Amino acid sequence: MRTSLVLKQRRPWPEICFPNGEWVLALALAVEIAVFSAIGENFFTWSNFFEVVRLSVELGLLALALTPIMITGGIDLSVGSIMGLSAVVFGVLWRDGGLPIAAAVGAALLLGCLAGLLNAVLIAKLNLPPLIVTLGSLSLFRGMAEGITKGAENYSGFPAGFLRLGQGYLWGVVPVQFSVLLVAIAAYWVLLHRSAFGRTLYVVGFSPSGARYAGIPVQRRVALLYFLSGLVASVAAVIYVAHLGQAKSDAGTGYELAAITAVVLGGTSVFGGRGTVWGTVLGLFAISVLQNGLRLAALPSEMTGVLTGVVLVLTIGLGRLRARAQRNEATIDEADSMKNSQLAILCCAVVGGSLIVAGTNIWLMRSLRPADIAPARTAARPGKRPVIAMMPKSKGDPYFISCRAGAEEAAKEAGVDLIWDGPTGLDPAKQNEVVEGWITRGVDAIAVSVENSAGISTVLRKARARGIKVVTWDADAAPDARDFFINQATPEGIGFTLVDEGARLLGGKGEFAIITGPLSAANQNSWMEFMRQRVAAQYPGMKLVAMRPSDDDRDKAFAETQTILKVYPKVKLIVTISAPAVPGSAEAVQQAGRKDVFVIGLSLPNLCKRYVHDGVVQAVVLWNTKDLGYLTVYTAALLVEGRTGQGSLQAGRLGTVEVRGSQVILGKPFIFNKANIDRYDF
Amino acid sequence: MLQRHRREVSLIVAILVIGAVLAVVAPGFFTFANQRDLMLANMPVLIVALGMVLVILTGQIDISVGSQFAICSVATGVFARMGLPTPLAGAAACLVGALMGGVNGALVAWVRIPSIVVTLATMVALRDGLRWVTQGAWVQGLPPGFQWFGQSQAASELITAGCAAVLAVGMNWGLRNLAAGRVVYATGSSPNAARLVGINPRLVVFAVFVLTGALTGFAAAFNAVRFLQIPSNAGMGLELKVIAAAVVGGVAIAGGRGTIAGTLLGVLLLSMIGPGLTFLGLSAYWERAVEGAIILAAVAMDAVRVRSGIHADIVSAQAA
Amino acid sequence: MALLEATAITKSFAGVQALRGVSFALRSGEVHALLGENGAGKSTLIKVITGAEKPDSGTLTVDGQLVPHHSPAAARALGIAAVYQQPTLFPDLTVEENIALALERGGMWRRVDWRARRRQARELLDRSGAEVAPERTVGTLSMPEQQLVEIAKAIGAQARILVLDEPTASLTDREVARLFRVIGSLRSEGAGIIYISHRLDEVTVIANRVTVLRDGQTIATRDLRDVDRAELVRLMVGRDIDAIFPKRHVPIGKIALQVNGLGCRAAGIRNITFEVRRGEILGIAGLVGSGRTQLAETLFGLTPADDGAIVLHDDAMRTESPAEAIRMKLGYLPEDRRQHGVVMEMPVAANISLANLEAVSRNGLIDHARERGLAWSYVERLRIKTPSIYTEVGSLSGGNQQKVAVARWLAINPEVLILDEPTQGVDIGSKSEIHQIMVELAEQGMAIVMISSELPEILGMSDRVAVMHGGTIAGILSRTEATQEKILALALGQA
Repeated sequence: MRTSLVLKQRRPWPEICFPNGEWVLALALAVEIAVFSAIGENFFTWSNFFEVVRLSVELGLLALALTPIMITGGIDLSVGSIMGLSAVVFGVLWRDGGLPIAAAVGAALLLGCLAGLLNAVLIAKLNLPPLIVTLGSLSLFRGMAEGITKGAENYSGFPAGFLRLGQGYLWGVVPVQFSVLLVAIAAYWVLLHRSAFGRTLYVVGFSPSGARYAGIPVQRRVALLYFLSGLVASVAAVIYVAHLGQAKSDAGTGYELAAITAVVLGGTSVFGGRGTVWGTVLGLFAISVLQNGLRLAALPSEMTGVLTGVVLVLTIGLGRLRARAQRNEATIDEADSMKNSQLAILCCAVVGGSLIVAGTNIWLMRSLRPADIAPARTAARPGKRPVIAMMPKSKGDPYFISCRAGAEEAAKEAGVDLIWDGPTGLDPAKQNEVVEGWITRGVDAIAVSVENSAGISTVLRKARARGIKVVTWDADAAPDARDFFINQATPEGIGFTLVDEGARLLGGKGEFAIITGPLSAANQNSWMEFMRQRVAAQYPGMKLVAMRPSDDDRDKAFAETQTILKVYPKVKLIVTISAPAVPGSAEAVQQAGRKDVFVIGLSLPNLCKRYVHDGVVQAVVLWNTKDLGYLTVYTAALLVEGRTGQGSLQAGRLGTVEVRGSQVILGKPFIFNKANIDRYDF
Repeated sequence: MLQRHRREVSLIVAILVIGAVLAVVAPGFFTFANQRDLMLANMPVLIVALGMVLVILTGQIDISVGSQFAICSVATGVFARMGLPTPLAGAAACLVGALMGGVNGALVAWVRIPSIVVTLATMVALRDGLRWVTQGAWVQGLPPGFQWFGQSQAASELITAGCAAVLAVGMNWGLRNLAAGRVVYATGSSPNAARLVGINPRLVVFAVFVLTGALTGFAAAFNAVRFLQIPSNAGMGLELKVIAAAVVGGVAIAGGRGTIAGTLLGVLLLSMIGPGLTFLGLSAYWERAVEGAIILAAVAMDAVRVRSGIHADIVSAQAA
Repeated sequence: MALLEATAITKSFAGVQALRGVSFALRSGEVHALLGENGAGKSTLIKVITGAEKPDSGTLTVDGQLVPHHSPAAARALGIAAVYQQPTLFPDLTVEENIALALERGGMWRRVDWRARRRQARELLDRSGAEVAPERTVGTLSMPEQQLVEIAKAIGAQARILVLDEPTASLTDREVARLFRVIGSLRSEGAGIIYISHRLDEVTVIANRVTVLRDGQTIATRDLRDVDRAELVRLMVGRDIDAIFPKRHVPIGKIALQVNGLGCRAAGIRNITFEVRRGEILGIAGLVGSGRTQLAETLFGLTPADDGAIVLHDDAMRTESPAEAIRMKLGYLPEDRRQHGVVMEMPVAANISLANLEAVSRNGLIDHARERGLAWSYVERLRIKTPSIYTEVGSLSGGNQQKVAVARWLAINPEVLILDEPTQGVDIGSKSEIHQIMVELAEQGMAIVMISSELPEILGMSDRVAVMHGGTIAGILSRTEATQEKILALALGQA
């Protein structure tokens, strides 16, 4: 009788649903949704729900692939890089190899498998720690992608049928790629929670040696997971390419960290053994809802990182406390149980410490912040003022910060609200996400400094179709994707000006080197292309001997310049085409005492003033960035009001500005030198 | 001996091979000026790695050092602009770093959140927090005595090199020969056993995080004085470089095993690759791939060697 | 005056009362055995004495002085040292450093004297009778070697109060004898020794007095001269128990497992030949390091053999992997229960079904109803005491954990079952239950290979005894031939 009774005994449902305290996270997600429904515009709508889903697909796939790996106590840092490599190979095979799209997809998936196999062999067969192996293959795969494309190659123009996979809708509302994510979620759920295979993975995570003694082929299991992770990463790559409409070597940059964050947030233990698919999905949406909500509430995107950090510590911390309270038996071993009061004091101390850090930083930084940048929140007041959303390529770049100053000024004059937001990292898909958010929010005009033309044009077209005015500035998208392009300088103009200035300094002959931003930066790559053309056409005596990346990092530019000066002693000119990198190159030349080497480049006057005066930097090519920001916002405001004339427009303090076709011309690139640089402050 | 230091041996072999190739093809690599510049350029990685070794030895990890580095850099500049003499500004930056390390350490040691989670959180929070506060602005208008501590460039470089060398040698010696150093190993090897011999493992974990924060501040300050301005995005990807150097240098990620000497070899190997490839005239586009391949080769090398030995995979399976 | 006196100690862990008013006194120069079934509160009492746990109430005095603030460091300062059942050593550090960390005092910034450390380690290892090089890394030592290092630590601490928690669990008889000599000399120097063991024969040999704990309470303290074994057992379990091994006569059937000239260089065994028949229990005796566990692991495919043949079901084969061994209906209950025998963090049900997931799954998917059924049938059959089949195994007592581990192997319906130290660290009640289970299995026609370091167990349970020495079988004795003396002689290589 007892048997029949106990057979009915099932696990209590909270334990089934939330074995690792996922309810904390579910609660956090609910709070997010409640808050953003209140303060975000058009947040709580079906269409926004599906936008969030669409933007989560690639990340979600990676997070799913990482979940079983982390359950076995491993980690795979190379997933983002596998995405990059697969995307590039897909592009190469389709465009240059002439393969049909389906075959190219197949090849990309195969490549993902091979990449996963490499990890699998090193980790499972050679018994190397997964962290080291995937740290190495992270560089290897990304490096191969960069090598194959020379950083610059951008494959686009895929057929519409393929693009539908990443941009289309099923039944008008459900994004196509959502189905892929659903299938993956279901598959991983079955794998982990229903199959005998999945059960053994938990055993491997809890006790690899115990698993061996239970007859589980640990190595084969682990190997299969890394292999699978390669495959899933390449699926994510294909969707990513279809989503953005372009394949480039920087696809998936930084995704590994975001995916790990989602998995960890979802309650998967980094020590292995614990974790659920359901938790990972919650973690994924906790992050993407946060990003989306902040965007729709017009809050600065930097809050994402800060809040993600807070949510991460809180959910895992609470989960730990709960686990400790529950598993009192187990803590006998740990022995030094802490009283609640002590814990409370400690938590207070930690929070206090964080506040001190934050407080001192804010206090210290006040003095640094350019005075003319008003606090970001001028929007959101529900007056009838038009809202203009403006996006730089990257938020931390001093170049764009000076643009913003002009933009804020114009917004004030023209009586519009300005939302200034953009990517904080190098991820090229972020711009699309931000624009998607703005479309959902329903702004009046969007102004974008385009990072990847092919990628963003699709979403800009969508914005126009919804009646939003679109302006591009700084770098253009496809002409049919925007109303106006604020043309401060064409890539051609910049490239030619730099070469001409360099040739003037060198007297038309000699060796020179280029320091660029990140290898895959689209702008810099097109400038370099025109520079090469100009040199080939006009200055046969000049020779480009080296091109090195600086990743927009001053210190890296410094080190690279030092190396170039030594390896190529005959180089007499360094052309540095990234704003933060020019001071680095200048400092390197100055410290080397090489008075015979010229430095020119593209940067802000304020960053270079001292070097220009010291005679290290001969010329900085740029335009008036404040005016660029000003003109962009002004043009957008006029567009919204429908007051753009033919041939010219009246742009506030700038007076009459020439309009050529759909291009608003700011003026020619300007050369700052010793004589004039002190007149500019930006 | 060889068995125990096999990672170090692998590294030395790898370094010698690369060095030999460079010596033949591009002897300019070994000029004093180049070596000095390389040393200075990798000084931040080296100093932060000294702290990271301790953190990893205790079985933890700190991936927030890059963000801490950026904040400490900016803090150095801000303090200097407030009128503090440069060395004091640097010391203040160390304090800021120690404070951030303290927050990490407290969360790891007493709230018992796994260190990778804590530092993942502080990594994104600190980086985005700094960006939010500075809006990307650089610290400009530093006082004239800021660069090179007001000394000549050569003197300042000597100070930097001297400090780094003293730190590295001192910590290597201390980790081996001071009770405090052995306590770090003991904690990482078995926190439970450590408690029973009267060590407070949580305090040790807390202390190594604080120390890593302080060292990060130290590195940031020394790096800041080499320039006229301070960017607010410094230290991007520093954590990966530092961790790679440590693990390639043979520090076991599970804690308890590893040396500073090995880590220094790791820093040396990784810092040679990039410039070395430039000296060999390799295109920048393939550099990262080659870097990754060399890391993989270096760690695979000793694994392969072990397998040829006696039933080593049983030992490593049990260790895992 | 008592050297150490614990009075009315209580301790609870979040509602679970582990100690409810335990009193205990240790005199100097005595070996005081602490007996009790698992869960009786011995470990908690020890932790209170060594400062690893603070009692909720009650007092602890050493030399009549109240110990106010208790911590491991304070206990160490008072001369209290403990050797735990599971060695608490630093696996990545050397033997000498492990000893030094336990003994050295002084500031954090003092310099380490490596030479003195080595000298000290050598001397202490000698005194404890361990043949271990001080510069070896502890992680590479065998379990008994690690235990000897622990004992060396305790000797070095010049402990006046020495706690030995099952010190002989993994030691061979020769090592036990050496340990007893060490204990004797410590005792004659005036130290008080608290000795915990499940082996009553040992206790009667070494101890002067005995205190029995049950359910967190002191049941009795007796002089060992005044009690006999039966009474001790009754005191421990609170009821009479049949302490005699329950071996019954079972008809021996066909050959189930035949091993011919088996060898494996990696495992260090060679030229092993024996056979086991259905219904037979073959005991394997031998010193630690003689290759018993290695033989089992080779049979089970963990270290595949490179010589000889294994014949199962009349098929000559070599088990290349545990998975293959399981397919051939060969089960292996490993020696280290916590590391290998069960997965502590997983529920009882998942542990039981682990080696035979095919039986509870359909098309590769786990059928939870079937798994529940399987788990319950074994919980019932082996009388596993657990609140539910979803309870994590780690929260069960050692004996019940071991039963779960046995259940895992019964679930594959094995024809041959290898049990490696099946009753090590298991309390008396569970121990006799496990013996009972073995007999039942043999009756059902299973062939059982039992490795044990406990000679009475070997003699009481086995139909035949194979004695190993130096990686091979030194001799096989029938039940009637086998005596302690003969087995020891073979194990020492003197036959």
